[in-house]
Amino acid sequence: MSGTGHTVKSYEEEMQSLNDNLVMMGSLTESQMADAMSAVIKVDKESVDKIVKSDGKINELRSIIDNQITTVLVKRAPMAVDLRITISTMKISHDLERIGDLAKSVAKKVKPLPVDLPDELTASLRRLGDLVQKQLKDVLDAYLNKSKDKAIEIWRKDEQVDDLTNLAMNEVATYLQKDKKNLEMATHLLFVTKNIERAGDHITNIAESLYYLIEGEYLEGARPKGKPVESE
Amino acid sequence: MELNNSKIKIKAKNLNVYYGAKQALFDINLDINQKEVTALIGPSGCGKSTFIRCINRMNDVIDICKVEGSIQLDGSEINEKKVDVVTLREKVGMVFQKPNPFPKSIYDNIAYGPTIHGVAENKDQMDEIVETSLKKAALWDEVKDRLNEPGTSLSGGQQQRLCIARALSVSPEVILMDEPCSALDPIATAKIEELIDDLKKSYTIVIVTHSMAQAVRVSQKTGFFHLGKIIEVDSTEKIFKNPDNKMTQDYITGRFG
Repeated sequence: MSGTGHTVKSYEEEMQSLNDNLVMMGSLTESQMADAMSAVIKVDKESVDKIVKSDGKINELRSIIDNQITTVLVKRAPMAVDLRITISTMKISHDLERIGDLAKSVAKKVKPLPVDLPDELTASLRRLGDLVQKQLKDVLDAYLNKSKDKAIEIWRKDEQVDDLTNLAMNEVATYLQKDKKNLEMATHLLFVTKNIERAGDHITNIAESLYYLIEGEYLEGARPKGKPVESE
Repeated sequence: MELNNSKIKIKAKNLNVYYGAKQALFDINLDINQKEVTALIGPSGCGKSTFIRCINRMNDVIDICKVEGSIQLDGSEINEKKVDVVTLREKVGMVFQKPNPFPKSIYDNIAYGPTIHGVAENKDQMDEIVETSLKKAALWDEVKDRLNEPGTSLSGGQQQRLCIARALSVSPEVILMDEPCSALDPIATAKIEELIDDLKKSYTIVIVTHSMAQAVRVSQKTGFFHLGKIIEVDSTEKIFKNPDNKMTQDYITGRFG
């Protein structure tokens, strides 16, 4: 990126503030995802309300960023790298907001779960959650460092997210087959799994936006896919 | 955007221009495509106006100005002595920053060029040239009932379109525009830009502009000049979305100290 700042200081400050808000939003989303996963694994029903509430802060930041972007577009008519930062920030902030929503949905499923959730049901889910959290952390670090290579790596790694999702869903389905009484619990866990996978998709979107910001071109080719979840 | 498939109308090769001891342009190599708008951008004094003034040899009138190197129009060298500059300027018209209508009637402003070049054989032909030129410049409807009024009685935007009509009256192939909208309000600017869009179907246009937004709106190709050199030339889309050169990026994003 350009080493020198804008001649107009207020433009520089506006772009800096946009960046700061996106970083803040990323950090809150990361915590939200970690809290939601922890709540599921520990079946910690008490933390659910807090997680649901803190999603509001992420939404608020998205709305602030949207406003800032409108202002930058109308005031500065950004060009080249500034244009790409503005467009990418808008897209990334929307993906982060969706990840926050999905984390909230994950947390909400904790309330109906039995407190003695069997370990065999959550082993793959735990691994999936860890991987998606790692992906989120990595993509936010890649954004801070404007790392094109990291963006590609994260984008490719979504294949593993798909594979783990299949595994986790199979585990739940097997458990359900043992006893139909498990139906309600299994349904909730399937939703949890699917929501985490969807969060993974938004992370790859962020990687794509980041790549565009850095390179001015879109990542080419289809994203590598694991086995389709629906075929299971 | 496919730049390579377009026919080259003007080709500048190793062009150097000096004003006395001061060199204004350094080894300019630039291809201008036919029936396309090429925008030239860059800070004041970077040489973009000097460059377009080379295309119709306007620099000839400056005694201390020396032009070296080659500019070809349709493959023919324009800097050779045998080239008649009057004929050259018939082919390569120019519109300036400040509208400069002659202190004559609207009609006579347009008729002046064709009269000098002996284009019209009689009054009917001249009437037709005046009407066609004013129509092409999107001014006819506004002035058709007042052709005998002075050109200077028109608004700034109308005067600029009158100057464009005047340039068109001798059926040029190339129109050079040196910041044609810098003295105009946004509505008059929009009308000129709309006109440029229309004119590019028939003419090759080179426009010097300080407005990045205007360059993006009107041109297909953009060249960035700095300190008498061409730093980067590419499709307008590439230049404003993702330029290769850091100096270009610094200039268009407002990072020039």
